[in-house]
Amino acid sequence: MIEPLLHILIAAVCCWLNFIIIDMIFNLPREGGVSGATAIAEAVRRGGGDIRGGTMMGNIVSSPDASAGTLLAACGVYCFGIAGGLTATVLVYIGNRICHDPGYAGTTGCFTATGIVYGGSLIGIPPSAFIAGMVLAILTIQGVWHPWSSRLLGAVWRWRN
Amino acid sequence: MVQQAPRGCLEVEELIPASPDQVALWVCSLVALYGAVRVITEPDTLRKLPFLNVFSFAISGIIALMIPHPLALVAAVAYFVGSTFESNAIASVYAGGMEKGEHRE
Repeated sequence: MIEPLLHILIAAVCCWLNFIIIDMIFNLPREGGVSGATAIAEAVRRGGGDIRGGTMMGNIVSSPDASAGTLLAACGVYCFGIAGGLTATVLVYIGNRICHDPGYAGTTGCFTATGIVYGGSLIGIPPSAFIAGMVLAILTIQGVWHPWSSRLLGAVWRWRN
Repeated sequence: MVQQAPRGCLEVEELIPASPDQVALWVCSLVALYGAVRVITEPDTLRKLPFLNVFSFAISGIIALMIPHPLALVAAVAYFVGSTFESNAIASVYAGGMEKGEHRE
């Protein structure tokens, strides 16, 4: 019981780093990809949060980004091995275009996560731990307290620049 | 005479996670429940959407974990992209939507 939970925690840290790094590389906090993302950023700022972090949260909500890519890559590797991860990459690309997102954060995140999840399965961390780990990772950003998480994302964004 | 539970009913022992996959399923289920409660209790509609996003993540994970079949991946992606698209549409409407007669290229 303790070992699977430990695996999930390790997977959560790997997933968190993967999606934050890829999203920062693709400049998600800079501007809202669609008008809805900007509206969510304004709502987060009104609640005492940071506008740049809020923009990234809005972009995560409005289109499949690297966090969605990481989750779906883990689902793909769990269901169908490494071919499933690559299939998920193609499906995320299609999902991005459906949501009018011209970026490649989701596709890139899914591709790198496929490698991470497959590598994890080789050293004993099962793909199911990465699914639960990514759910916990997105919980820390989108689901606990928006002012805190948006300020954290804003601080990472300013440090990156 | 020992009474057996009717067919289709879960035994209590089945609810206790026995494998790593079931532990992951429990974590996803609890997060989904938490997301649903936060969506209901948050008064601001636009600030509900990140909680809805957490909920969608958890449900997509549950779909893949519960259905051991390659096509479960397609179901999880279809659910997730559909849910994201809905959040996108709700947020865009709250942002003012498109002007009448405006067409997106």
